[in-house]
Amino acid sequence: MRIVVAEDLYLLRDGMVRLIEAYGHQVVATASTGPETLEALRTWRPDVSVIDVRMPPDQSDEGLRAALAARAEMPGTPVLILSQHVEQLYARELLADGSGGVGYLLKESVFDAEQFLAALERVAEGGTAMDPAVIAKLLAGSAPNRGLERLTDREHSVLALMAEGLSNQAISRRLFLSESAVSKYTTSLFGKLGITDDEDTNRRVRAVLAYFNRT
Amino acid sequence: MRQSDRWPVRVAVGFARACAVAAVGMLTPAVWAAAVAWGVWWGPGNPWSWVGPVLLVGAGTLALSRPVCRIVRRLVARWTGTVVPAGYRRAGPVTQMSTGYWWNGSGYARTRRDALLDQKWRVRWADPAVRRDLRFTLILPFTAGPVAALPPAGVAAAVVGLGGPGPASRLAGALGLVAAVAVAPYAWRPLAPVARRFLRPSAAMALADRVDELTAQRADTTVAQAAEIRRIERDLHDGAQARLVSLGLSLATAEKLMETDPGRARALLRDARAGAAGSLAELRELVRGISPPVLNERGLVDAVRALGLDVPLAVTVDADTSPRLEAPIESALYFGVAELLTNTVKHARATRAHVTLARDAAGVVIEVEDDGRGGADDRPGGGLDGLRRRLAVFDGVLTITSPPGGPTRVRMAVPCESS
Repeated sequence: MRIVVAEDLYLLRDGMVRLIEAYGHQVVATASTGPETLEALRTWRPDVSVIDVRMPPDQSDEGLRAALAARAEMPGTPVLILSQHVEQLYARELLADGSGGVGYLLKESVFDAEQFLAALERVAEGGTAMDPAVIAKLLAGSAPNRGLERLTDREHSVLALMAEGLSNQAISRRLFLSESAVSKYTTSLFGKLGITDDEDTNRRVRAVLAYFNRT
Repeated sequence: MRQSDRWPVRVAVGFARACAVAAVGMLTPAVWAAAVAWGVWWGPGNPWSWVGPVLLVGAGTLALSRPVCRIVRRLVARWTGTVVPAGYRRAGPVTQMSTGYWWNGSGYARTRRDALLDQKWRVRWADPAVRRDLRFTLILPFTAGPVAALPPAGVAAAVVGLGGPGPASRLAGALGLVAAVAVAPYAWRPLAPVARRFLRPSAAMALADRVDELTAQRADTTVAQAAEIRRIERDLHDGAQARLVSLGLSLATAEKLMETDPGRARALLRDARAGAAGSLAELRELVRGISPPVLNERGLVDAVRALGLDVPLAVTVDADTSPRLEAPIESALYFGVAELLTNTVKHARATRAHVTLARDAAGVVIEVEDDGRGGADDRPGGGLDGLRRRLAVFDGVLTITSPPGGPTRVRMAVPCESS
């Protein structure tokens, strides 16, 4: 994969590049500010990019804004946002366009290099990768929620893992179920949430969106 | 206060008020008149006859000044809504010393009662507010007092004149009645400006009050700050620092075991990784408590939105602007909203909450409203009282309406220059 890495701290950027290259991917460009990031995404059109939220010049949410701007210009541009903290607010903004190809993970998720690279690949293919911490916050917030309260506990846990971006196969391994059981659960929860898309990736993204848009 | 436009009502209300003002305003002159009458009655011939009346005037005026001023303040507040602060000096605490004597700030006394009495008179003697009251008591009978006496005087003239013989006396009576009715709606009104002008605490008194207030706030802030720094230090010491030490230990042991026991070394490395993730999580929580990242990155409105998403309630946020305020004010308001929402979750049994952020010429106003069971109180030392004190540092005001049965509405208003 051709990857852009945007991170302002040299140590982290360098480490990230080395990790990615160790797994046989190619880092085509690095950026250390918001505007540079947007420029790199425009110029290189990478397969996926890894972007830090907080970067110069303002040390606010430059990275996130660059990613959102890039996706507004070039819909579906796959981005994986890394941050020291995860916020539902930001997750919603990233998922809002409903086109997938979005990841939002805590920085320490790179500790597990295998999973991190798997998440990166998933995002590159148009899927999602949401940090369990965001999902946990969603589960903690038990506000009444169209459709969601009709899900069974099992369907809930399947949806939570789906929101993290896992495939049915991965979910079946995580929950010690057969893959066909998982696919039965996903079909029934798509039905309960009223999602009728044909393409699986789209359906999964929309299920996650339904999850986030509880109000 | 309800104002009616029908003139009979206005006349009646005005007449009643004028009578009240006249009664209060002419109280001291009545004492003076009594003294003069006394002097005249004792009459000439007795060279010391003036002593008693003069003492009566002095003592009477002094004794009446405080109640008269208190009544005037209350009347003005009730009729016009203008609150004229009293600004009396407050007495300090009276404490018992180890010797058994009571100390009241300026002297010792054998009993608590004596100490309090002594303090009361000392404070009154030194209080500029008492001299101001006295001055007002002297001014009132020559300004608002006689004006307010016009309607009752007119009515009195009417009663006497209309009952009297002759057309001239009847004409005078009729004129008196007309004058009384004509001026009744206005005669009490001079009281408010006179009270505002002469009864307000002087600049020096207001300043002294403000200094007291600021001293108390500064002490509060210093204590709170020190406690906060201690908390951060303790969290770092027991949390991240300890974890990093254990991380170093694991790594050192793993290095040693690498050749002899690779299996255990690998397990240790896995622990080390988990430890690093754990200390990051701890640091993240700590940072969130000091300075929430969304607040830094997005400002108050989005930070409040993020907060709303994280509590188990349906929270709607309404913001007409996105005010960027000074960082300390923003932070105080953010933590204020966080505390209010936490209260709602913990105590209110509410299902939804509504947060409104608005900015006007005076400052920024945030309202948090829920559909819970109400009954929130701000007893001293409680959470809401603490919030009130934290806002007071920025001259902010906390208003709580929370009747039993709900709903609870809390309003935080902080003045700030418009940018």
